Amino acid sequence: MNILQVSARLKALARWVKQSVQKNLNSIFVVLGFFLFWEAVVWIFQIPPFILPAPSTALSHLLFPRADANYRWSYHISSTVLAIGLSFIATSTVGILIAIALAWSKRLKEIVLPAFVFINSLPIIAIAPIILLWMGYGVFTNMVIAFLVGFFPVVINTITGLEAVEEDLLDLVRYLNASKLQVFLKIRIPNALPYIFSGLKICSTMSIVGAIVGEFIASDRGLGYIIINAQYSMNTPPIFSSLILISLAGALLFTLVSLLERILMPWTALEAEP
Amino acid sequence: MHGNTPLLSIRDLKKVYKTRDGELEALGSVTFDIYPQEFVSIVGPSGCGKTTLLKIIAGLLPKTSGEIFVDKNQFDPSREVGFVFQKPLLLPWRKVIDNVLLPIEILKLDKRRYIEKARALLELVGLSGFENNYPNELSGGMQQRVSIARALIHDPKLILMDEPFGALDALTRERMNLELLRIWSESQKTILFVTHGIQEAIFLSDRVIILSARPSRMIKALDIELPRPRTMEVRSSAEFGVYSLEVYRCLELT
Ligand SMILES: Nc1ncnc2c1ncn2[C@@H]1O[C@H](COP(=O)(O)OP(=O)(O)O)[C@@H](O)[C@H]1O
Ligand SMILES: [Mg+2]
Repeated sequence: MNILQVSARLKALARWVKQSVQKNLNSIFVVLGFFLFWEAVVWIFQIPPFILPAPSTALSHLLFPRADANYRWSYHISSTVLAIGLSFIATSTVGILIAIALAWSKRLKEIVLPAFVFINSLPIIAIAPIILLWMGYGVFTNMVIAFLVGFFPVVINTITGLEAVEEDLLDLVRYLNASKLQVFLKIRIPNALPYIFSGLKICSTMSIVGAIVGEFIASDRGLGYIIINAQYSMNTPPIFSSLILISLAGALLFTLVSLLERILMPWTALEAEP
Repeated sequence: MHGNTPLLSIRDLKKVYKTRDGELEALGSVTFDIYPQEFVSIVGPSGCGKTTLLKIIAGLLPKTSGEIFVDKNQFDPSREVGFVFQKPLLLPWRKVIDNVLLPIEILKLDKRRYIEKARALLELVGLSGFENNYPNELSGGMQQRVSIARALIHDPKLILMDEPFGALDALTRERMNLELLRIWSESQKTILFVTHGIQEAIFLSDRVIILSARPSRMIKALDIELPRPRTMEVRSSAEFGVYSLEVYRCLELT
């Protein structure tokens, strides 16, 4: 690489970073604006906190110990973060491996995919209690529930990506007698990366839904547990504190996935050269 | 003209596609020989089976009947053939140098031994300094040069090229023609070049094989005895005009 190319690449990268920071700045402003608006509405209309607490009230529940509802926030937060993280990692890993197996064997795909469609259309709220019955409380139960919610988009997207290879691109290695394994490793899997990442982005949201639903039903800890527990005692502010934390976790996970995408697919950063 | 034995012999090659609406005779009957270090072009109207012919030679399609052999031995395309497709077909996730090295990986050869060669080939096609770029940073002409380097990396004897410059603008195409002649003479390869550009075929080739419309027959194999090395001036020579007219006549364009 000569100096001109290096500088061109650095410029492209800098442009991308700048653009994404700008984009995120905008959304941060939107979120801040939303919270200010919410705060103002609560103060102006004097809405009682058990109906809609102001964000500042929710925040104070998080930051200061209280006599009426003394949740150990750091314990519950770390428990939920762990559940979400493990769920996401397990769901995406297993989902991608399943998709590779199904794309490898057409026969297997024809048998298994309809079953997946069936599982995916089951309402998770309805089957979660059964899973609890079978497996008891614990992070693993949460992971199983999250998996059932989130595996489908990963599997479908990955299969699509593995199969969406130009016929000509296959000819390119076929005339060299490439083995099926080589076709997968050198062509199909890298070709599927953009599809896999869009699957993972959906999965990141689904993992959160799954983990929280799991905590509703099958846990004695975590933000999902707090929501249920606070609801029994009509103590609304901790519910909102939890909701804010959950959406924060969602945004964080999504950002991490996007970052990983950028790192694993450096060539896409160079598109749209002038 | 050639005293030696052919690199590749094709005898009465036929291809019939089975389609939903019945059989489609893509190659009627094709017979010719290619000699070592020859540059042979195939011209013919589009749809006459030129791509089909190359794919059969490369082992990408089964033939319906006929023979393909080298020195009476069966022909192993994966070792003997380098294919340059109509589109560059570079893998967007691989840097230029790793695209060039793809055949080495597929053939399970020792990659370290070929890195220097890949660099040398990129220099040969005029792309030194671009080893670590991604394909989407290159122009169409540059991408096609990478694909030429990739077709040469495993040192095949025969390079098949399927309208490789068809998507390029006229000026780039002329430049690529000159480059190709230089690459051909420096690498001492045998090239079978498919095009529907009649001028291009005559300018590049030792021999132009003219195919009819489907079901294609060989109308003629025209020896081009223009002096080498060829420059742009040769295109305006009287002999060049005579050859062109001959090809046009064969294709019933006059
Ligand atoms: N896989 C295929 N199945 C059926 N017909 C085909 C197939 N590939 C090509 N053909 C037909 O065979 C004929 C020759 O095609 P092709 O070799 O691509 O021609 P050319 O490269 O000379 O334009 C065309 O009529 C085309 O429609
Ligand atoms: Mg063609």
